[in-house]
Amino acid sequence: MSKTSSTLHERQSSNGTADSGSTGEDIILECRDLSVAFEMDRGTSRVLHNVDIDIRRGEIIGIVGESGSGKSMFASALLNAVVDPGKTSGTVTYHPSDDESDPVDVLGLDKGPLRTLRWEDISMVFQGAMSSFNPTMDFREHFVETLDAHDYDVVEGIERAEELLADLYLDPDRVLDSYPHELSGGMKQRALIALALVLEPEVLVMDEPTAALDLLMQRSIISLLSDLRDKYDLTMVFITHDLPLVTKLADRIGVLYAFEFAEVGNTAEMVENPRHPYTRALLNATPNLDAPLSEMRPIEGSAPDPVNVPAGCPYHERCPMATADCEDVKPPMELVTDTHEVACHHWRDVDDEVPLSVGVER
Amino acid sequence: MSRESPTRSFPGERGGFDTVADSSLTRSERVRRLLDLWLAAPLRVVWNDARARIGATLLFGFLLMGFVGPQVIAEPSIGQAPQLLGPFHGGIIGGSWYTLTSVDLFGVSVPWLGLEWLLGTDSTGRGILEQVVHATPRMFTMIATAGLFVTALGTSVGALAGYSGGRVDQVLSTVIDIVMTLPGLPLLLILVALLEPKSPVVLGLVLSLQAWAGMARAIRSQVLTIRSTSYVEAAQAMGLSTPTIVAKEVVPNIMPFVMINMVNAMRGVIFASVGLYFLGLLPFSEVVNWGVMLQLAYSNGGMLTLDAAHWLLVPMLAIVLLSMALILFAQGMDRVFNPRVRARHANTTGGSDDDTEPTEPKTRAVSTEGNL
Amino acid sequence: MNGYFVKRTLQAVFTTFVVVSLSFGLVRLMPGNPADQLRGQLIRNNPSLSQQEINRRVANYINVDLSAPLHEQYIDYVLGILQGDLGQSISQNAPVTEVLGEALPWTVFAFSIAILLMFVVGISLGSIMAYWEGSRFDVGSTGLGIVLNSTPNYVTGLLFLYVFGFILGWFPTSGHISSEVVPIVNPLKPVATFQFVADAVYHASLLIGAVVITGFGGVALAMRGNSIQVLGEDYLRVARLRGLSDTRIALRYVARNAILPMYTGLLLAFGGVIGGSAILEQVFTYPGLGYYIVAAVEARDYPLMMGGFILITLAVVVGAFIADLTYGLVDPRVSTGGDSA
Repeated sequence: MSKTSSTLHERQSSNGTADSGSTGEDIILECRDLSVAFEMDRGTSRVLHNVDIDIRRGEIIGIVGESGSGKSMFASALLNAVVDPGKTSGTVTYHPSDDESDPVDVLGLDKGPLRTLRWEDISMVFQGAMSSFNPTMDFREHFVETLDAHDYDVVEGIERAEELLADLYLDPDRVLDSYPHELSGGMKQRALIALALVLEPEVLVMDEPTAALDLLMQRSIISLLSDLRDKYDLTMVFITHDLPLVTKLADRIGVLYAFEFAEVGNTAEMVENPRHPYTRALLNATPNLDAPLSEMRPIEGSAPDPVNVPAGCPYHERCPMATADCEDVKPPMELVTDTHEVACHHWRDVDDEVPLSVGVER
Repeated sequence: MSRESPTRSFPGERGGFDTVADSSLTRSERVRRLLDLWLAAPLRVVWNDARARIGATLLFGFLLMGFVGPQVIAEPSIGQAPQLLGPFHGGIIGGSWYTLTSVDLFGVSVPWLGLEWLLGTDSTGRGILEQVVHATPRMFTMIATAGLFVTALGTSVGALAGYSGGRVDQVLSTVIDIVMTLPGLPLLLILVALLEPKSPVVLGLVLSLQAWAGMARAIRSQVLTIRSTSYVEAAQAMGLSTPTIVAKEVVPNIMPFVMINMVNAMRGVIFASVGLYFLGLLPFSEVVNWGVMLQLAYSNGGMLTLDAAHWLLVPMLAIVLLSMALILFAQGMDRVFNPRVRARHANTTGGSDDDTEPTEPKTRAVSTEGNL
Repeated sequence: MNGYFVKRTLQAVFTTFVVVSLSFGLVRLMPGNPADQLRGQLIRNNPSLSQQEINRRVANYINVDLSAPLHEQYIDYVLGILQGDLGQSISQNAPVTEVLGEALPWTVFAFSIAILLMFVVGISLGSIMAYWEGSRFDVGSTGLGIVLNSTPNYVTGLLFLYVFGFILGWFPTSGHISSEVVPIVNPLKPVATFQFVADAVYHASLLIGAVVITGFGGVALAMRGNSIQVLGEDYLRVARLRGLSDTRIALRYVARNAILPMYTGLLLAFGGVIGGSAILEQVFTYPGLGYYIVAAVEARDYPLMMGGFILITLAVVVGAFIADLTYGLVDPRVSTGGDSA
């Protein structure tokens, strides 16, 4: 995977859509200054704040954050699907795989092309798989209506659906003729993944796809996803609050804190050498049978209010290393290595201040 | 229902969430807080909701009419006034429908506005307003009886079925289903024909004989739902006593259903009693009732002439407004029993707005169509 | 799958049994019960008749042989009803089944149209209100719905009769059809049939209007609530993301899932409204089932009264049974053991 991984996107060259192509990186989704805001009575609630990130073709990127960190908004924004009073700004550029097609400005699309882009190019699996199906329709009809709506050949499409379902270890005939209430949560989740892939999209965005499932089912879905990616050349954006879970799957991990990325890097580096105190806190807070209980600690404090994000580093109120600098000056993204960047003034000292308890098993 | 029981269980409670905060407060402060949470806040909730405000105002008006009205307004009797007077006869200003008199109040003479056939009279010279007002107390007795009966039977049967489950539930559910299937009015007609009830209490009971089933069914499914929710399990695990759990978790959740079903039963009794009086199937010789008025207006040629419009319209208006008052009031109470809404309106309890606001965009999504 | 249907069938049979027993209880065991009252009437009116003759006539009228032991009376009564014998009407001097059989089609005719219209109007209005939730239209309609919900249909009926019947004279104020129209339903004579049906609708229109006006508000409010709930469901968001057309989402997703819970309500409303038909039919002097029940109560015609009660109740039981069975067919969740309340 991503053997050619060179530099991550750097802030200075943030306006270069053409750049990324020329640097040889194969980028499929490019987010610049991506923000989502809701107008509320007590002020503007900014639930995603000037996020810059590139998603590479064929990778699985894990986006980790606690609840209320803006990760679901990030997922919705990638498909320009933020619910109504929310305003999405910035750019999301989609680069189709064939060279002839022009890059697509996702946020600027009209209703028609947007409808085509969604599900045909970028597909999504929602948090609530249990309730993602019309309870009064069988699964076959869900597949058929989706194929119909996008003018795909239904017979071919259903064959593809059957194959997908079989890939996901479901009995295609049984599932297609069932109603949603007749399947278990794990089966519904897998059926939803099949439904998301039936139009052969390039990108699959998954928002907490495993949150409602038991541990065993979580693990099995994770391994199925890896197989699917290999078989169908998919790019996956896997959004979760569960950092250890995503380390088993993702090539790269981005940690969201207070509606911005705190740290982004290759999975190995993120697990073995996290530089942001928040990432470390997340890892240390993870229940792990191997780690002694004394080393496990919850993160003190709570996530910031989207209406009043603190000035300076958003994490300074909860950070054990915070200095006066952190309260006033917002840390820029700095490169740790070519494949690892972090937004912290003190990332070099983090080893001393916030020691990592026994690592998460990889 | 008793507001006091939850109040009393607050201070001495072991292990509740409130104990921590309350221990640092003085007694008077605590009382003030409780008053605010259980009395002032509900009133504020009611007043902040337009529907509840209208309902409460209307209801207050009817209570006034029922309790004070008969003392102030003359009792209707045949030939007390000229026949078929219009409302406000002689014109709204300068007409003869009011007289300036004086009233002896505690030995002091007070100027008073005497009303004479304010809303006109019927074809036997009885005042319309007088009849409407004097029919109200009986109506109240009937409604209250029905409300009490339905609530008592409905909640107990529903709660028993939902709580015990198993065979008891099966039997009770079948009974509920059957009672609900019986068509109301024909049965009432027969019962009324056989029993000829005169007392408003008996009438209220007979007319609401079926309505409890609806409430029982609603309560049963609510109890089933609540029993399995995690917050009740958590409360049990925390060792809260059953009365505390019932008062703090169960009652607030079933209250809206109790209110709505009770009000529906009351509305049903109003409709049915007026209807039966209208049909002349209830013994009505000495009774004033809105339905009797309708019947007399209908059968004595009131339908054929515009002069009798008020005779027909005034009792109709009374029926509609009273049921509307009850429905609106019940809907407003729904908000009172919703702890979240109440907490937001309590001054002294710290506002927990932060919990509710971030969900706002999500719930607003409901109203957006075609944006995707 | 079959368990659901078996259970519903058993329940319907059991309910029928309860209803018949209940009516026997009313006839025979209530204080001042019809059997004794009827006997008293007969003795008063025909003092010369022998005890035996009186008992024979009572048996003829209400299927109860007062000289037999109580349990035999019960069995005879139930068997009589099962054979379709509801006794003999005193005031109409005809078999109860004949009197009610003639009245029933009119009631069914008028109230079916009324309930259908009520649901069509209510559902359409409710969906529009839900789509425009919070708009002035929504708030206004909700208020109107509450007012209409607080109005008994006979009040609206009286008003309609007063305004459109008597004052304006636009509609007939009583009866099924005009006297000069021949009641005929024959596909070979389309003109006459049409004239007859049109005239019947014309005569029933004020009654229908009263039911629709007072009923659609409640339906609209229920539909509005259901639709708003469905609009907030996850599957709706997914459906939009999948690019389904707005029409398909509106019909196949919102409407279907919002209307389904109201389906049983529709057939039950039928029972409720027909049960409540008595007062309306009286207002409009429309000789249907309810009209005869009221007439029977007024005339203390006990056989007709009980017959009307049994007929209406059984109609409602059958209606509820059909509702349950067909609901099992239209909602996949029910028959396959999903979440049914």
